[in-house]
Amino acid sequence: MKTEIIEIKGNKKLKITGDIDMHTSPELREILLSLIKNSRNQCVCVDFSDVTYIDSSGIATFVEGLKAIRTSGSRLFFYGLPENIMEIFRFSRLDRVFEIYRTFEDAFGI
Amino acid sequence: MVRKSNNKEYIRNLEKRVETLRILTEVSSIISSTLDIRELMSLVMEKAKEILSADACSILIYNKNNNKLEFEVAICGEEETSELLKKKITLDMGQGIAGWVAQNQQIVVIKDVKKDKRFFHDVDKMTGFETKSLIAAPLIGRRGLIGVAEIINPQKEDYDLEILSILTRHFATAIENALYHAETLEKERIKQELEIAATLQKSFLPEKPVFEKGRIRVSAINIPARHVGGDLYDFVEPDINKAGIFIGDVSGKGVSAALYMAKIISDFRYISRGINSPSDVMNKLNKVLSGAPRGMFLTAIYLIVDVEDGEAVISVAGHPPCIMIKKDEVYVLEMSSGPPLGIIETDFDENRVILKNGDRLIMLTDGVFEAKNISGERIGFNTILEFIRENRNIENLIERITGLINEYSKNTEMADDITIMEVSCL
Repeated sequence: MKTEIIEIKGNKKLKITGDIDMHTSPELREILLSLIKNSRNQCVCVDFSDVTYIDSSGIATFVEGLKAIRTSGSRLFFYGLPENIMEIFRFSRLDRVFEIYRTFEDAFGI
Repeated sequence: MVRKSNNKEYIRNLEKRVETLRILTEVSSIISSTLDIRELMSLVMEKAKEILSADACSILIYNKNNNKLEFEVAICGEEETSELLKKKITLDMGQGIAGWVAQNQQIVVIKDVKKDKRFFHDVDKMTGFETKSLIAAPLIGRRGLIGVAEIINPQKEDYDLEILSILTRHFATAIENALYHAETLEKERIKQELEIAATLQKSFLPEKPVFEKGRIRVSAINIPARHVGGDLYDFVEPDINKAGIFIGDVSGKGVSAALYMAKIISDFRYISRGINSPSDVMNKLNKVLSGAPRGMFLTAIYLIVDVEDGEAVISVAGHPPCIMIKKDEVYVLEMSSGPPLGIIETDFDENRVILKNGDRLIMLTDGVFEAKNISGERIGFNTILEFIRENRNIENLIERITGLINEYSKNTEMADDITIMEVSCL
């Protein structure tokens, strides 16, 4: 798994490449939580377009992130989910838990 | 005269060789006397101190994780100094004489440390010990650098540097063997602990994997991926004519998932007592689990079935769907589902299904259809569905599904826990 943080239109974008599983999620957890801590009313957007797999420990990392960002009053959303990843979210009804958009622009209604 | 002096020289050399041989034999016997790493290092350093009539000796072990040298054994006159060294002082690679030796992997003899810029005075400042001269040798084993041995203020000057490097090579091999032995012991200890944990975890699941009440018969198979796992199932009796059947999958794997699973199963048993509505139980469980650490959550299905008329009420929390087996058809049960438990506040729905005589309902966790083969391809939900379709008349169907997964995942490590339940209406 590789991650890249880009500041885009006043928001923090986290681009993830590769598998998010029990081996890589501890590293992702550190990055995501620190990003949320320092987001200060900015949105944290996660670009999933190059994510190849996510398991339940990866999803738990985002659940923790979601709970953390709620207390800070900010927003966490995902976009660019490949069909196989979207299926995992849909299958476990997590599409109702997370804000998921097709593109970055869709998230802001641009 | 010349001859006499030659003889003396010859005898001195001979004595030196005999002494060298004696030391080598003694050290060899020490090295093979113990596999206890601390005992071994202390013995070796005591010997080195004695041979060279030194004031102090120490071994710094190389920690690969932080790329630093850490004092493992320090033998000085004062025990306090040894303790201080072990607890407080680490050296970076290249820092001080030991750091230089570790980096360059060369033995170094310094007659006067005051004249050597590499010397790191802070250690002496902290310990109050005065280093005047020293010999520092790298300890290199089969797997690379192990550490550095330092002999401080050696009084003897007629030592043979070549013998010293032979000795350090022996020390390095012995230390490496002892480290390997300690690692093996630690692995064995962890394995045993995990076996105990696995037995304990199994004790949280129902005593028997089969439950019968009225016209309802339930059987279950649960195989954790790595000794302990996060899958769970349970049978309860909320009312006189009712059977409650619960299946769940905690996010993550291993010990943390297993511990959380144990908590959930206790919460479930407490909450489900006397409640005939599965959604009520799910709502209550959801509240209890909302404070889960590290975003942990549970996907689950709770089914309460009337054991007389076969009416089943099912509540689903982000869990893979059930598969219905009727006499002539096999299909995925379309049900409304809420998100997994422990994430957000929500009200769970209920779905109603009538189980008729001969109907069977298969419930499973995602480990079943996410099983991978040696090429890393997942078996997939549809393959499982097709297999059930083809083998729907077989009695021990859930064992057969397990067999299919085992065959598919042959020669690979099991990636996730597997739980399969079959609810039959007789």
